[in-house]
Amino acid sequence: MATTPARTEGHDDFKWKADLEGIGFVRRLLMARRWYRADWWFVAISTVMVVGFIVLALIPQVFAPFDPREQVGPRFLAPGERPDVEVLIASAASDITGVADLASEGRVSVAVVAGEPSSEAVRNEAERLTAEYRAQGLDVEIRLRIERYETLEEALAGVIAGDAVVAVGSFLAFADLADAFPELDQMGSVAPGTAAQSFTLGTNQIGQDVLSRLIWGTRVALIIGFTSSLFSLFIGVPLGLFAGFTGGKVDRVLSVLMDSLYAFPGLILAIAITAVLGPSIINVIVAIAVLYIPTYFRIVRGQTLSVKESLYVEAARSIGAKSRVILTRYIYPNVIPSVAIIFSVNVADAILTGAGLSFLGLGLDPSTPDWGIDLARGQETIQTAWWMITFPGTAVMLVVLAFTMMGEGLMEIFNPKLRER
Amino acid sequence: MHPLLLTFLIFGVPAAIALVYIFVRGTSAMRRYIVTRIALTVPMVIILATLVFFVMRILPGDPVTSALGPKGSPEVKELLRENLGLNDPLLVQYGRFLGNMLTFDFGESLIGAHRPISDELGERLPATLELIIPATAFALTIGISFGTWAAVRRKRASDYGFRLYGVVSYAMPIFWLGLLFQLLFGVVLGWAPIAGRIDALIGTTLKRETNFVVIDSIITGNWAALGSALHHLILPTLTLGIVLSGVFLRLTRINVIETLQEDYVTAARARGIRATTVTYGYALKNAMIPVITLIGLQVAILLAGAVLTETVFSWPGMGRYLVERISSRDFTAVQSTITMFALFVAMISLAVDIIYSLLDPRVKY
Repeated sequence: MATTPARTEGHDDFKWKADLEGIGFVRRLLMARRWYRADWWFVAISTVMVVGFIVLALIPQVFAPFDPREQVGPRFLAPGERPDVEVLIASAASDITGVADLASEGRVSVAVVAGEPSSEAVRNEAERLTAEYRAQGLDVEIRLRIERYETLEEALAGVIAGDAVVAVGSFLAFADLADAFPELDQMGSVAPGTAAQSFTLGTNQIGQDVLSRLIWGTRVALIIGFTSSLFSLFIGVPLGLFAGFTGGKVDRVLSVLMDSLYAFPGLILAIAITAVLGPSIINVIVAIAVLYIPTYFRIVRGQTLSVKESLYVEAARSIGAKSRVILTRYIYPNVIPSVAIIFSVNVADAILTGAGLSFLGLGLDPSTPDWGIDLARGQETIQTAWWMITFPGTAVMLVVLAFTMMGEGLMEIFNPKLRER
Repeated sequence: MHPLLLTFLIFGVPAAIALVYIFVRGTSAMRRYIVTRIALTVPMVIILATLVFFVMRILPGDPVTSALGPKGSPEVKELLRENLGLNDPLLVQYGRFLGNMLTFDFGESLIGAHRPISDELGERLPATLELIIPATAFALTIGISFGTWAAVRRKRASDYGFRLYGVVSYAMPIFWLGLLFQLLFGVVLGWAPIAGRIDALIGTTLKRETNFVVIDSIITGNWAALGSALHHLILPTLTLGIVLSGVFLRLTRINVIETLQEDYVTAARARGIRATTVTYGYALKNAMIPVITLIGLQVAILLAGAVLTETVFSWPGMGRYLVERISSRDFTAVQSTITMFALFVAMISLAVDIIYSLLDPRVKY
């Protein structure tokens, strides 16, 4: 039996380095695993996540069950908790679907349980609807006669016996009794806007759906991440190419400037810029874009400097290629792969900084469905509502993780030696 | 004594002694390096300050209108503008700004009791330092030890575990980590307080000397205050420390891996020197040289993290001060605080470079 010689790490090392030279993007991606056991599943998982988030950001309305800015339920509802609201219960055969239908019935008798908020709720609702009709010029009035019972069971029995047209009671209590009274149906909630449904991730202190805000927040986060990174890319890359290629005084001045900007804590600078510019999403994007210009500048400048010294650039120069041609045809294509990698990591950083800014209450309008804003709101009620901070934070972490992992994975595949951002 | 000056003395005197010691005992090359490096700090400070100044001025938006609100009458606005010197030519303002920076005279707060900004910063700076020093120490311990461990056990389960820790702690928004700690240890378990530097009642018994609560309670022998201060420090330190440690861990791991592939390591192994001696005695020392520089660059993450941590834990430091003053539109306070941060960055980078030159005597200017 033929034995394959044990391959040493050094040999492997040499082989992939040689092979890496003349091969295209897709093949490189596929071959990387075989060559040096690069964690390309890293790239695969993160790509799926990134695509998922982009889809969420593009069409949040498809996935979000509610409007993120509207009050859609009771306040502070825990995830999956069934809210206890006052519901209208009527005989299954009747055509009553809400309090409004009681208007045509003359003075209707309503069964309520003594001592529960139901009688007040139904009275208020009737008054509100009557006032609404009056405002429309209609002469309609809902007149109720409240029949009090000791328990909900008795009240329901009263409806079946015909003593009352409808009953009003707690949603949760009725759910327990529903089996015992098959001839009764629950017609919906008494007050509008408080549907008796549960919310997958709960509601916040103004009754907005946490899940919907989470999904719509993807859009804000990705808009900030992508646009600000693109801005810094379009400024940083040309500046880096220019500085690296021309060298001299221009290079030195630009480098010192960019190094100072790089050393300065980004978030604090962004705080200053948004504080001066005022709150709006555009200003947040501008503030974050300024921070990341040096990241592109440094990498592109460094690469330009090294590529400029390579033999093929010298050859091109000796056959009389113009500077513009050398820059666009020889240097630029060599710099682009690392720019793509930084871009991916940069989007993650920008999202993190954007979330930090809105957490501090800077930059975005408070009604915007944004994860940072939701986290700041969640902190106010941390003692009671754990779900308000858990989910938006997880979302930020997953998005950042996805983009960082994608960047790191690509970096390992394309340039295992390039590690410092 | 002015609180700000006191803070500078607490850190400046030991640093100066160390510097003099290096200067006297060091080689001439080292002396030249240190002098050059200190001289180079001046343009860096000026550039950073200029950056702050022009960001605050060039951008649209009027500090006076935002401080007084839409109700301020034109005369009052004009008076305030004159007092702040905003009517002077930009260059005059810029010169005055740099001059004031040298004397740490930042003017007066636009709101409240109109206290001098330097007094307010003198109370806030110690709080920030008291937070970031233990956090950095924690992060360095965790980051360097686990980073080396991960590098030695490369591509094994523990390595993947540490790498995951590094990636997740990097991706985790620091303010969210703080909130989770508050939720778990503060609200659910009740182990640690979630806001402030010291228990309010105990705080009244503490005599403020340096504004460092820990130092004050030790020098006045107030052990109850010390206990309370340390108790309050736990969660913010952990929050900031964990996020930083992930970055340090990644940097250490990569550099140790690279060093372990050097020829001299192979040679040492071939001679039969014990594996731990090779790793910790030979490789780690050399791997630390680039790590020190890279760690120095993380001061940006440290300060940004401090701002967010202070906000989450209601820690009365510079970061929270900055955020508070932005919402109350106190222009002078905001500008001065950011300038202080810039000075801080310059000092850290100076310190890191000098430490670097001690570790690697080859470095030259």
